[in-house]
Amino acid sequence: MKSTEIKNLIIGSANPGQDTMETTRMLEEAGVTYRFSKGFTKKVSDKIFSAEFAINREIDFVRSMNIVFSRIALTGIAAIVILLISIFLSEGSLSMNSILGLGDIHDESIICLLTGN
Amino acid sequence: MKESYRQSDDNELVRASIEGNKLAFEEIVNRYQKMVARTVKGMLGDSVFAEDIGQEVFIKLYYSLSDFRGEAKLSTYIQKIAVNLTLNEIKRRKRFFTMFSQKGNNEMYEIEVADFDTEEKREASEIVNKALMRLEPKFRMVVAMRMLQGYSTKETSEILDLPLGTVLSRLSRAQEQLKEILEKL
Repeated sequence: MKSTEIKNLIIGSANPGQDTMETTRMLEEAGVTYRFSKGFTKKVSDKIFSAEFAINREIDFVRSMNIVFSRIALTGIAAIVILLISIFLSEGSLSMNSILGLGDIHDESIICLLTGN
Repeated sequence: MKESYRQSDDNELVRASIEGNKLAFEEIVNRYQKMVARTVKGMLGDSVFAEDIGQEVFIKLYYSLSDFRGEAKLSTYIQKIAVNLTLNEIKRRKRFFTMFSQKGNNEMYEIEVADFDTEEKREASEIVNKALMRLEPKFRMVVAMRMLQGYSTKETSEILDLPLGTVLSRLSRAQEQLKEILEKL
């Protein structure tokens, strides 16, 4: 196709009344084609599905971390409860002093401890 | 699971792709890559950047397939993604070249000349590419939709999300610009 014909087709395509399907077909025949490079589908597919594999692995990791943390949390809560029960049994109350182990300490014994008299 | 989806319709391909079927999605890519290439390369020139945007179109499509309700055709849905990503890329390039380049907008669109069997075909392709690249992007998009995809003015307005009147006025302005551009080529 001559260059003047190509130019007329281009200008004509901006005409609202023009049958553009025909223009597109004629331009393609004249060599105006657009293609992606070979292996385009594989590149897209690799990007999507390898990324998905990575995301799935990340999700699995987060899930197993959650399980580990919940087990640690349960064990911790059980240990705290046992500790509180043992403090209550030995000290007879759950006051701050008994929790801190200060239940039996009197002012005199502190002075005695600090001065040695 | 099917071994080939060549005979499947778009809805079946979408359903299978949502379930993570690689073959089904590859069939969508095979089926529509030429259409996307016409939009992206027609707007950005035949460069490696256009290739990247083309890939991005299908990646975005894959992750938004669950939003596709089948009210419009799949081709229209893909075309809209391609148009949006291409326009974003044009804006990005414009910002970049305004900030860092002294040479103006012409270098924004690097065209790699593909291999052609005849000199006539190479010349035809060159005329079309040069004409498109010298048009303002807002006019280029409507012309590309009409000339390279063969869309009617109504389809063009739907895909570009523009009122029909705007498409018609842009086409008229584009025609004037094209006459001037092509005179010099």
